[in-house]
Amino acid sequence: MNSDDLRKRAIKAKEKKAEYGADLDLEEYSYSSAPGQIESLDEISESDRDLVKDVGFNPSQDGVSGSFLQFDNEGIFADVLLKQEGLEILPITEALSKYDWLQDYLWNAVSVDTDKYTARSEITDYNGYFIRAKAGACIQMPVQSCLVMKRNQSVQNVHNIVIAEEGSELHIITGCATPSGVEQSLHLGISEFYVKKKARMTFTMVHRWSEMMDVRPRSATVVEEGGTHISSYAILSPVKSIQTYPEVHLVGMNAKADHYSVVYGSQSSSYDIGSLLFLEAPRTHGKVVSRSIATDASEVITRGDLVGLSGETKARLECDGLLISNEASIRAIPMLHAKAEGAELSHEATVGKVGADQLTYLMSRGLNEEEAASLIIRGFVKLKVPDLPPALQSSIDEAIKMSLEGGM
Amino acid sequence: MCANILETTDLRVEVNGLPILSGVEIEFESGKVSAILGPNASGKSTLAKTIMGLPEYDVVDGDILLDGKSILDKSISERARLGIAYAFQTPPIISGVKLADFICRICPDYQCKAESDYFMGESCSCKSELYEDFDRLGIGNLAKRDLNDGFSGGETKRSELFQVLSMRPRIMLLDEPDSGLDYDSLRIVGKELKAIREKGDTTLVIISHHRYVLEYLEVDRIYILQNGRLAYTGDMRDIPVLEEKGYDRFLADVMR
Repeated sequence: MNSDDLRKRAIKAKEKKAEYGADLDLEEYSYSSAPGQIESLDEISESDRDLVKDVGFNPSQDGVSGSFLQFDNEGIFADVLLKQEGLEILPITEALSKYDWLQDYLWNAVSVDTDKYTARSEITDYNGYFIRAKAGACIQMPVQSCLVMKRNQSVQNVHNIVIAEEGSELHIITGCATPSGVEQSLHLGISEFYVKKKARMTFTMVHRWSEMMDVRPRSATVVEEGGTHISSYAILSPVKSIQTYPEVHLVGMNAKADHYSVVYGSQSSSYDIGSLLFLEAPRTHGKVVSRSIATDASEVITRGDLVGLSGETKARLECDGLLISNEASIRAIPMLHAKAEGAELSHEATVGKVGADQLTYLMSRGLNEEEAASLIIRGFVKLKVPDLPPALQSSIDEAIKMSLEGGM
Repeated sequence: MCANILETTDLRVEVNGLPILSGVEIEFESGKVSAILGPNASGKSTLAKTIMGLPEYDVVDGDILLDGKSILDKSISERARLGIAYAFQTPPIISGVKLADFICRICPDYQCKAESDYFMGESCSCKSELYEDFDRLGIGNLAKRDLNDGFSGGETKRSELFQVLSMRPRIMLLDEPDSGLDYDSLRIVGKELKAIREKGDTTLVIISHHRYVLEYLEVDRIYILQNGRLAYTGDMRDIPVLEEKGYDRFLADVMR
C-alpha cells in the first residue's frame, strides 16, 4: 500500500474510537517536532541518565550491542557498537528513506485504521526506531532502546519496526520513561515486529510513566515458520491511563510466542493491558502470562485472548491478580476462541487478596506485617521467563526491584 | 534447678467462639524437652498455635508467660523475635520466594545485609555455607524451589525444621515433626533434634503420636491433653505403657 492510500485510510479513521480504554480527545494535545540529533550519550544530562537507567537503559553501553534513545519527538541517538556485524539500528524516518522495501512493513502488522490513535500516528509526523538483525546474524548482546517524554501537554508519536531476518537472533530491552511532574501528555507508540523463518526475538519492555500521562501503544508481531517471539512487559509506575492489547500472529508452522506481563497498579491509575494470540498455522503454540497487583485506588484490567485458527495448536493463558487495597480493583478477562479442530486452548485466572495464612506464616518467622506483605508481593511479581538469557532476566528483576523500592 | 522459660496459666482458648482449651496449666523448663500428647482433637496443636499467637486462636482467659512476663499482647512477629518458633504442619505456598533465599532472610547467622541482596537471591554471599546445611538435612533439592510449592510431606517437615532451626530460637514448638517421614528422613530429623537437646540452650516442645522420636530424644516431661484439658503430667517411663494401653485406658488407670 502506498503512502497516499495509508494517509487516506488514516484520515477516514481519525475519529474512530478504540475498542477498549477511555476515549481521549486528541485535540487536547499538541504536537511539536524540531528534528535533532544526539551525537553521543555523553551529551545527556545527569537527571536524564538517571531517568533512563530506571527503565534499564545503560548510558555507558556496557554489555549491549547497540542503542537507540529518543527524547520527545526530536533528540535522537542511534548507534551500533563496532564489530557487531549483522545489526542495524536507525531512526525510522532515515530507514524509510534508505530502504524502499521497508514500506511493505509499515502498517503491515498493525492496521493504520485500527482506531483514532493509529490514524493520528500516521497523520502526524513520527519517528522511532528501525532495528534489524540480518539473516543468520546472532546478536548475542541485547540492543537497548529508550523513549523519553519530557514535554507537557504534548504527544510523543513513535513508530517502530523490528525485523529479525531468517535464522537470526535478536534481544531487545526497551524502556519508556517520563520524569515525574510532566503534565497531561500522550504517548502513541506503534510497534511492528517481524520474526522471520527460524529467527528468534526476545523483547523486554519496561514502562515508567508519570501520573498525568495517557499511553496508547499499538503493537503487533508476525512470526513465520519455526520462529520464536518472547515478550516481557512490566509497568510499575502510576499513569493516568494506559490501554494496550498487542497482537501476535503465528503464521508459520511451529512458530511460537510467549507473552509475559507484570502490572503494579498504584494511585488512581487505570491500566487496561492484554495480549491477543492468533494460532494461524498448524503446530503453532504459545503462552500468555500476566501478573497484576493493584494498590491504592488503581484499576487494572488484564485481558488475554487465544484464537485457535488451525489444528495441532496449543496455547495457555494465565492471569493472576493480587489486590492490596479495598479501593483498588482487578478484572481478569480471559478468552479462548477455538475455530479449528485440534486447537487446544486453556486458561487459569485467579484474583484475590494477600492470604491471611501467608502473612501469618511469614510473621511467625519474625517478619512484621509490612515486611511479610512486601515479600509476598515481590514474590508474586517476580517474573521468571523461561529461556530468557540471564542478563535479560536480571534486567527485569532489577527494574521491578527498583520500582517496588520506590513505590512501597 | 532449671527455671521455667514458658508457662500457661489457666489458659482458655476459643476458635470462632468454640471452646478448645479449658484451664490448661503447663510449665516448660528451660533447655528441656517436653512432649504434648493426646488423642486427636484434644487441643495439642491449638496449644502450640496459641503460644505462637496465630490470629484465629482467641485467649479468653488465663495467660501465657515467657520468662515470667505475659506475651498475650505481643504479635506473632514479636513472639518470634522473642525467641519462639513454630513448625507448621501444612504451611502455605509463597510463590516467587525461594527456600534458600528465605532461610537467608530469617537466620541471624546468614541474614543478608540488604533486602535487595535477598530479593536478588543469587547475589547472597552466604550461600555456600547455607547449602551445607541443606545437604545435611537432605533437602538440597528444595533450595531453589518456591517456598512449600510442591514439597512432599517429608520435605515439608524437613523444610519447616530447617526454617525453625535457622531462626536460632529459644523455644521450638514442633507440631508432629516425625509424621509422614520415611526411615532415613526420620533419622535425619531425630539427629538434628538430638543435637539441639544436647546443646541444651533450646527448649523443645514436641507434639507427636510416635514413640520413636520421643524415646530417642529422651523427653524430660510428657503432658497429655484430653478434651482441651491437661489430663496427666508424667515422664518418659510412661510412653511404653501409653502405647500399650492407649489414651483412654491409660488415663482411666492413672486417675483411678
